[in-house]
Amino acid sequence: MISLGQLNLDSETAFTLLPELVMLVGVMAIILIPNLGNATFRMPLTNLRVPILIGGSRFETTNDPRMPNRIATATFAIAFASSLLMIDSTSEEVGGLLRSDAFSRLFSAMFIGALLLVSVATTHRIPAKRNAKVPADGDSEAVTSRKMAALIDNRRQVDFHILLIMVGLGMSLMAMSTNLFMLVVCIELASLSTYVLVAFHKEEDVGGEAGAKYFIVGSAASAVGIYGMSLLYIWSGDLSLDALADKWGQMQGIDPFAAFGIGLMMVAFGFKVSAAPFHLAAPDAYSGASSPISGLLATASKAMGFVALIRVLVMITIPDFGEESFWFLMLAVVSVVTMSWGNLAALTSENPKRMLAYSSVAHAGYMLAAISVVGSGLAGEEGTRIILIAITFHLAVLVLFKLGAFLVLSLLETEGGGHRMQDLHGLGKREPLIAGSMFVFMLSLAGVPPLSGFLSKLLMVNGIVSSSAGTGSPSTTSVYSWIETVDPVFFLAAAIVANSALSLFYYLRLSLVMFFEESERPSRLKSAPSLRMAIMACAALTVMCGIGPASEWLVGLVTTSIDSLLG
Amino acid sequence: MINDPLSVITLVPLAVGLALLIMPKILSSAEGLARASRAISMGVALAMLAITTMIFLGEIGSIDWTDYGSGYSLTNESFLLIPSIGVSWSVGIDALSFPMVWLTTLLIPVSMLVEWDAKKGHLFHPLILIMEGALIGVFVSLDMFVFYVFWELTLVPMFFLIMVWGGDDRRYASMKFFIYTFTASVVMLIGILVLYLYTPDVAGSGTITGHTFDLGVMLSSASSIPSEGLRHLVWIMLLIGFATKMPSVPVHTWLPDAHVQAPTAGSMLLAGVMLKMGAYGFLRIAVTALPESTMVFIPLLIFLGMVSLVYGAWVCMGQTNLKRMVAYSSVSHMGLIFLGIATMQPLGIAGALFMMFAHGIISPLLFAVAGAFKHHYHTLEIGSMRGIAHHSPWMAGHMMLGWMASLGLPLLAGFVAEVTILIAFWMSFGWLVMLPALTLIITAVYYLTSMQRTIFESNDPHQGILPDSLHGEDPSDITWHENAGMLILGALTVLFGILPFIFWDMMSDWSSGFMIDVLVQAMESEGVNP
Repeated sequence: MISLGQLNLDSETAFTLLPELVMLVGVMAIILIPNLGNATFRMPLTNLRVPILIGGSRFETTNDPRMPNRIATATFAIAFASSLLMIDSTSEEVGGLLRSDAFSRLFSAMFIGALLLVSVATTHRIPAKRNAKVPADGDSEAVTSRKMAALIDNRRQVDFHILLIMVGLGMSLMAMSTNLFMLVVCIELASLSTYVLVAFHKEEDVGGEAGAKYFIVGSAASAVGIYGMSLLYIWSGDLSLDALADKWGQMQGIDPFAAFGIGLMMVAFGFKVSAAPFHLAAPDAYSGASSPISGLLATASKAMGFVALIRVLVMITIPDFGEESFWFLMLAVVSVVTMSWGNLAALTSENPKRMLAYSSVAHAGYMLAAISVVGSGLAGEEGTRIILIAITFHLAVLVLFKLGAFLVLSLLETEGGGHRMQDLHGLGKREPLIAGSMFVFMLSLAGVPPLSGFLSKLLMVNGIVSSSAGTGSPSTTSVYSWIETVDPVFFLAAAIVANSALSLFYYLRLSLVMFFEESERPSRLKSAPSLRMAIMACAALTVMCGIGPASEWLVGLVTTSIDSLLG
Repeated sequence: MINDPLSVITLVPLAVGLALLIMPKILSSAEGLARASRAISMGVALAMLAITTMIFLGEIGSIDWTDYGSGYSLTNESFLLIPSIGVSWSVGIDALSFPMVWLTTLLIPVSMLVEWDAKKGHLFHPLILIMEGALIGVFVSLDMFVFYVFWELTLVPMFFLIMVWGGDDRRYASMKFFIYTFTASVVMLIGILVLYLYTPDVAGSGTITGHTFDLGVMLSSASSIPSEGLRHLVWIMLLIGFATKMPSVPVHTWLPDAHVQAPTAGSMLLAGVMLKMGAYGFLRIAVTALPESTMVFIPLLIFLGMVSLVYGAWVCMGQTNLKRMVAYSSVSHMGLIFLGIATMQPLGIAGALFMMFAHGIISPLLFAVAGAFKHHYHTLEIGSMRGIAHHSPWMAGHMMLGWMASLGLPLLAGFVAEVTILIAFWMSFGWLVMLPALTLIITAVYYLTSMQRTIFESNDPHQGILPDSLHGEDPSDITWHENAGMLILGALTVLFGILPFIFWDMMSDWSSGFMIDVLVQAMESEGVNP
């Protein structure tokens, strides 16, 4: 039996932590395997040479620059499959800090699924070339820089993929945390890795700037959050989520210490989900990072923030039915500002990556609006359940169509484009299938039926309206007097609907330029088969998760996971 | 799973059309498919026409429509598509939708025939087939979600028809078409969602939401929306969606542009069926679900109808472009449909229904003629040409028949509709009828002057004046397939003018049942015991 500190790693625990252990093994494999060589050790006094594998000259297969990518992809594939299979299994406590249940496993599947797609896209976005050569003396400047770039890309493979797996490890453990301290540490593990990933193309101006900005704002937000956590610790003396929830339930009135602590933690999580006014670094980070990483920030990283919000806001401070929680009004205002700001800014963006970044801000606003309804005291147990299902379903399908859209941009980036609207011009003629998939992603982001984006938005609006519409007086005869009597929560639904209608314009604009503008370069894009396959799979799943049996299956999974969260 | 005829006529054209578009791209061995796609599309379209005609001769024709309570006469077993929010696949038809379905299945092969020699035919005809499936889907869905999906789906093939095969200004026209109708239907979707959120938890309701998109449940539960003001708001939102599609002044401006730029088949389907979706949806959803709001807003309906009618006719007089003139005459006729509905009388509603059908065969005929004119004379300017009768006797004949039918000559289909709407209007609003009646004179004026100028008048009786766009070439008469298409439409115009009761009986019976239903519901919600 191996013992990791207090954690006894017996076979049962190992199975419970299978996805995380797989990723841990993956990290070690990425470090070890490329270093394997044919070194031998001669047994003293004999001629017997025993291979010790570390050292000597490296083997051809293990030295292949594509190796780290393959290992990472395989790791994510296994980890994804195992977390998916574990959603139905029973809840297991590990070491008093982690709990593997349907809720955490659904989110770890979501995170690792997103990372799997990123890892596939990276194969072509930061390609490793087997036969990269050192520039010769006679080479022209262009050839030299190209050869150098290829060599640098080969060198970076290990770093990049270790960071990716670290992100996965941090996020996955974070979803399982039952202790606030563990939760924050895991968020930091994932965040620090994403800061580096954003700045990964340090030779480009935008990459460095984006990384620096994201890092500075992100660490400030984390510091504020950790300060809030320390206040909570002083207040409660225990950081386990259950203990905090108990203490909160017994509290008479609102202890300013606790409320202040929760409020400060919301700053840190608000930054993660890119809620206004903490979203300002997001568009720069998204447009400076390579597209797969931007997609990761917009989906997995955002989902991580929402898990934290659900754990802290909903599970600790949830008020009784009929009572308004202290953060309701603030969160409601923040959500409306976030979605409107995101959509208005996206309308004027000329850079598709910035546009998607702002659209991701807007989507954060929709989900924050739904969470704030839980805090309004109108939702009740069933309403809370419906709203949490809606948010979780939205986060899950967001991985398909938001990340899918970023994958299309990654494909464009392989030829140096993707930063201007003009790069998308004529895509319909150059690549009908890719452009068609992008069209599906845009429609789904806008929430057009019957795609999965519509289903998730409908579930959210339904949750909000069914909680609030009953408050309006039935005896009124004009819409004005009815509006006067209805609870303001109702207008969060109205704000979501109005914003969705507004957002149609920029999503459609992006779609239309693909089909009806002439391209600057009429040739086909790079072949990149696995990336294309990933895009197609995302598009097909976007449709299938909106209508038919696949959508039922996903809704079923989400329902199971929310039921396991609410107990 | 899919064995009823209604699902077949909806899904088969969609599937075949899509396959014909995609398969040759995916399988390089399927080149023969691309070559044969024109014939396959036509075959499928004719098969669909045969099915709907069989339905008419068989089950539908023998139904006693006075018994409105039976509702949909042909429905299928529904099954759930998205159980979590209560969406199911269920289809059915009644006297309101059947004429539209039959009209669609008729116009599709006719418009294919008229544009038999279209460029890029391997894409053109399959797109029209997709259009057919989407249009029929709108008319037969008994689930509001599916209805909305088909409603939006009709935009896609039409958008591509205008964009790819349109005239010089096609880009502007197709964008305008798409943005106008899409924005309006998003407003409509919001109205539908409000209706959805007030549906009760019945069998088939969403497992998570507890509401259902079932059309019948949605329509009957609309009166349970708590505030009268909210009901009015929903009604207005629905009206915006439907009135833009119809289109009614002031949201009509996409129509002339779309018509002028669209290819002939596109114009025929646009005027023939797509505009009717607006009137259909208005009757089916807005009036049925919220009858008392309809009662409250009758003045608005009359205003919109009158303005569309008069303005459309007035603008027609100033048009020199043939297609633009026909397009504005459509706006004018759609105004009559609003007036017919506004009477809130069985006769008026039946007249509106017959107008939907009659306009659905007359305006495609006019657009087919206009398309042929453009094709053979290379212009659409009315004044550029004299004496078509001399050069192209067939075209002149069809043109005359179409215009006569459109201005409401007795014994042609348009007359029946116009006269019933006017009688009903007189019964409801008395001497106000003078305004629409006098407008019909304007209609006659613009048709007769154009007719006199283009078809007959000739400075030299042997020659006529040919437009400059021919560059001295001799004009030709219409081709066989154009002629065949126009003959079919012309024959139907005469047939339904002389024997309107083929569809009239079911329409008027349905209208009486519908009106009783609606009025009772409206009175009940007012608190009056009928």
